[in-house]
Amino acid sequence: MSLLEVNALTKKFGSRRSVDEVSFTLQPNTSTALIGPNGAGKTTTMSMIAGLLQASSGSVRLQGSKDIRRHIGFLPQYPKFYSWLTALEYVEMVARLSGLSAQEASKRSKQVLEYVGLGSDMKRLTSTFSGGMKQRLGIAQAIVHDPKLLLLDEPVSALDPLGRSEVMTLLKQLQQQTTILYSTHILHDAEKMTDQVLFMKEGKLVEQGSLADIQLRYADPQYLVQFAHDNDAERFAASRKQLVRREVNSVYLAIDAELPTMQALMSSLLATGYDIVKLERVSASLDQIFMKVAGANEHMARVVD
Amino acid sequence: MNDWSAVPWNLVMPLIIIQVLLMVVALIDLVRIHETKGPKWLWAILIVVVSILGPIAYFIIGRKQQ
Amino acid sequence: MNTWRVLWIKEFRESWRSFKLLWIPLLFLFLGVSDPLVNYFMEDILNAVGNMPEGFQMIMPELHARDLLLATTEQFQMMGIIVLIAVFVGTISRERSGGTATLIYVRPVSAASIFLSKWMGASLVALLSALIGYIGSIYYTSVLYGEITFSTALTIIATYSVWLLLVMSLTVALSAAFTTAVAASLAIILIPIGGILDSLLGGYWHVTPWKLARYGVLVTDGTIESSYYWTTLLLVIGITLLCLVLGIWATDRNRRLAAV
Repeated sequence: MSLLEVNALTKKFGSRRSVDEVSFTLQPNTSTALIGPNGAGKTTTMSMIAGLLQASSGSVRLQGSKDIRRHIGFLPQYPKFYSWLTALEYVEMVARLSGLSAQEASKRSKQVLEYVGLGSDMKRLTSTFSGGMKQRLGIAQAIVHDPKLLLLDEPVSALDPLGRSEVMTLLKQLQQQTTILYSTHILHDAEKMTDQVLFMKEGKLVEQGSLADIQLRYADPQYLVQFAHDNDAERFAASRKQLVRREVNSVYLAIDAELPTMQALMSSLLATGYDIVKLERVSASLDQIFMKVAGANEHMARVVD
Repeated sequence: MNDWSAVPWNLVMPLIIIQVLLMVVALIDLVRIHETKGPKWLWAILIVVVSILGPIAYFIIGRKQQ
Repeated sequence: MNTWRVLWIKEFRESWRSFKLLWIPLLFLFLGVSDPLVNYFMEDILNAVGNMPEGFQMIMPELHARDLLLATTEQFQMMGIIVLIAVFVGTISRERSGGTATLIYVRPVSAASIFLSKWMGASLVALLSALIGYIGSIYYTSVLYGEITFSTALTIIATYSVWLLLVMSLTVALSAAFTTAVAASLAIILIPIGGILDSLLGGYWHVTPWKLARYGVLVTDGTIESSYYWTTLLLVIGITLLCLVLGIWATDRNRRLAAV
């Protein structure tokens, strides 16, 4: 049984549909990446699930709960804390708002602050925290009440590389204990911790499925041949009708009837005498898949117009 | 002619003490606060020079807090 | 209502750590003691500074204890109230626009908890300030101008507290309903400017909310009919309750404005 069911969720601002009939389900203890360019409607979707925004139509159902706010932890892209509270006071306060008793709140708050690596800073005012520390405090406040679902809006986009890897490590640990839905436009992050991906574009869900499925569907395997000399690459590229693209000394070729196997490619290369550095069968990265999904949608839009 | 001993100091003192207290509280806050709207030194001058209204202006406008 | 208490503690900590619980009472104390003191030693000061033209004589009107208490009340009504409005008019709207409200609003917290904790936090500061200010005023007035009975003092302070509860409920409700700039403009128009208009034009009627603070002083020596006082008091309490209801409603309606 699925943990979260989102059904035809729609948000209209005036006549513009920011989120347009988005439907998906989340299975317990999985993590799902909501991917899309800025302005695709990711934050609006998350806000509606979190109950911050009222949907224009459609529904959000969390398994076995009437008040969804009781069972979610939410981390906005730029979490803002009260500058006059210490990290511990802050987390204790939100834990109590979510229904924990004073003792529980105090115990759990210390636990989660230790967990996110703020154990020695928990008595400091939040106004003295760096961006990475604030993001980790944001995660602590989101998990303190043991939510069934964790909603993270662009959890690492605003961080420097060090902060980003710290937070990614944390999220990968959390992934084993709870259900996570997070939005991102950095595909590299999504590749590292995702069971399911949802592609959003202009308010619509344009593609969804498990990462493995999608990779298979859009894999588009190709040969990569890397030459020692750029002009060899250039000459070889010009001679092959399977050419997909050339990047300086690397040539990408489509797999077709003439070159069905690596052996076929090798024997055709042997005949040329070029100095070859690398020979590989590659498939598309999430980045390329994303470009393709976004592009496909554009073609469709053009046809409709 | 200026006979300052005629001034009832026991009645003037309370007013002066309150003004100084307000000034001190504002200065303590100014030192401890993370950030102000406008430069801190400007607020320090305003708090010290303009009695009553200086500290009040600082507390209402100068403090920056999320 | 447990969440109400948790949020109220947060407000209290804010008032304490930002020195609101210190500087606003100090301001009211200054306003409270300045009239009785300054009026009393004005003549002495003028004599001490000298430089008066020959034969110049100041005729000081003879002041009674009641006049000083009215003067103090007037000080609170202008300077005091404007400062209270300026400090608390952003209490809900600024949290919404600044983003701190977001992490509170995603929790199972009712609009009533959010609004009432804000109102009580602001009212605590306002009532404490007025109490300290009046104690200062009453002390020097009774020392310099004549005795003030305990029941007179109590009536004045209690009446002014009821008025302040209205001021804070209206201010916080406006903060819940509008952006900080709009709420500030409305609060200034409705409370201090409304009070000035009422004192200019209000000779024709006897009951408006702005008259309550003055009536609190005047009722103690029977200058006004006590029925005017009681009707005004009930009217103010009624409007306060209305502001609370509208404030909670506005808080709920504007949840969606919280910045994400």
